[in-house]
Amino acid sequence: MADTQIAERRPGILIAAEHLRFSAGRLVILDDVSLAIHRGEIVTLIGPNGSGKTSLLKVLLGLLRCRGTVTRQKGLKIGYVPQQFAPDLSLPITVNRFLDLFAGKAAGRAALARVGIDDATGERQLSALSGGEMARVLLARAIAAKPDLLVLDEPLAGVDIAGEAQLYQLIAELRDELSCGILLVSHDLHVVMGQSDRIICLNHHICCEGDAKSVVRDPAFIALFGSRSALALYPHHHDHTHGLSAAQGQQDHDHE
Amino acid sequence: MSSFLLDGFLWRAALGAGLLAAACGPVGCFILWRRLAYVGESVAHMGLLGAALGLLIGVHAVIGTAALAVVAALVMSRASDRTIPAGTFVGIIGHMGLALGFIVLSLLETVRADLLGYLFGDVLALTTADLFGIAAMGLGVLLGMALLWRPLLRNAVGGAIAAAEGKGSPLAQTAFLVLTALLVAFGLKVVGALLIVALLLIPPAAARPLARTPEGMALWATLIGAVSAPLGLLGAYAADAPAGPSMVLAAGALFALIHLADALLARLRPH
Repeated sequence: MADTQIAERRPGILIAAEHLRFSAGRLVILDDVSLAIHRGEIVTLIGPNGSGKTSLLKVLLGLLRCRGTVTRQKGLKIGYVPQQFAPDLSLPITVNRFLDLFAGKAAGRAALARVGIDDATGERQLSALSGGEMARVLLARAIAAKPDLLVLDEPLAGVDIAGEAQLYQLIAELRDELSCGILLVSHDLHVVMGQSDRIICLNHHICCEGDAKSVVRDPAFIALFGSRSALALYPHHHDHTHGLSAAQGQQDHDHE
Repeated sequence: MSSFLLDGFLWRAALGAGLLAAACGPVGCFILWRRLAYVGESVAHMGLLGAALGLLIGVHAVIGTAALAVVAALVMSRASDRTIPAGTFVGIIGHMGLALGFIVLSLLETVRADLLGYLFGDVLALTTADLFGIAAMGLGVLLGMALLWRPLLRNAVGGAIAAAEGKGSPLAQTAFLVLTALLVAFGLKVVGALLIVALLLIPPAAARPLARTPEGMALWATLIGAVSAPLGLLGAYAADAPAGPSMVLAAGALFALIHLADALLARLRPH
């Protein structure tokens, strides 16, 4: 047991998972998944629907039990943005009050300002927010308490395109500001990959892992997302091969 | 009407039921916010079995009810969707409790006449000792809710978030279930195992349009509960109807009135 507790041995690691196996009935959701998140890095988890991304996050957060070990740095402070969040309509609570339940008042107001939620919206009922506003509020709530690790499960679903770019920029800034680690699940591959330090491609097991450039060249990535999506990540590359051999084409560009 | 004011048992009924319904207010808010009405119902049904078993082994019905309601609440709170849906499990346990409780009560020759009382309450039979019991329990529940308010509220708004961030306060959740079980136990004599959840559910639901904060809703629910009890008794006295069900009807009437008024006001408001 002791020799597997990576997060306690190495100072830079915030949270580490080793040999996670999780199945629901006969369906294997996570198959021998191991990973570690370090302080100051943005790790993006990508994978098709039903590939086990959310389950993996839940296991890391302790919301779901499975085989394998998860170790955390002592006293690790986590900020979590869940994929789905719908408080009951019968619960009257303002946005500001919602944040106050989790962090100090001043920190909450400052966080709301950073995600573009104004004072008037802060006084509105939580249940009256639009999907995009709710996404911003949830992000603000997660960052208000200045966490060591941000776990974001498709945090910007419903946010308009302009806001999306701004907020991903904000997430990157927070990484530097709080020197926190960020684990992000996202389908916005084109926006996210440029800002990720590491990309983990999950399809029940970890198919491939590395920085954006190496991952998009990986046959496993191309098999999952297709060569076109890989190319779409780098619009500035000139595609001389016109998709005839995407993997080969990408390699050629790297030699340029 | 003068005899209504003079009868001691009516005063005791009004006071006891009012105190119970008032104490139900804040707890009921969480039952509503966390959609636990079904769990509350099953806990109350198990309470009936507790009362029956209490009579069988010779302890006070309130103690038996409280004990089994606590156990039921704890077991049901552990129910997860992994093997069968949690709601199904909770429903099965509750109805088993109701069925078994009914059977045990029927087998006890001496209490056969009280079966209806256990199901719908016998508020007019409240003694002064019952009254003190309800008052002490009610104050305890309100105090407990005040102390647990913040962690409970955090959990009601964002349970998964709080749990993921290590702020889930499982102790507060357990304490909440115990408080709910206490209300069920003391409510057995007032409105019975079949109607106690109504006192937990209806006053907060009636309070919803009046509140903009969680605390406001809890206060209104307490007030509406406290008013429904004497209102229902008054109606029961006038119509010579059963007292417990009349109090539940009174709460339902307030619910309808408030929501109707709210809808009307929303129409009149300039857009």
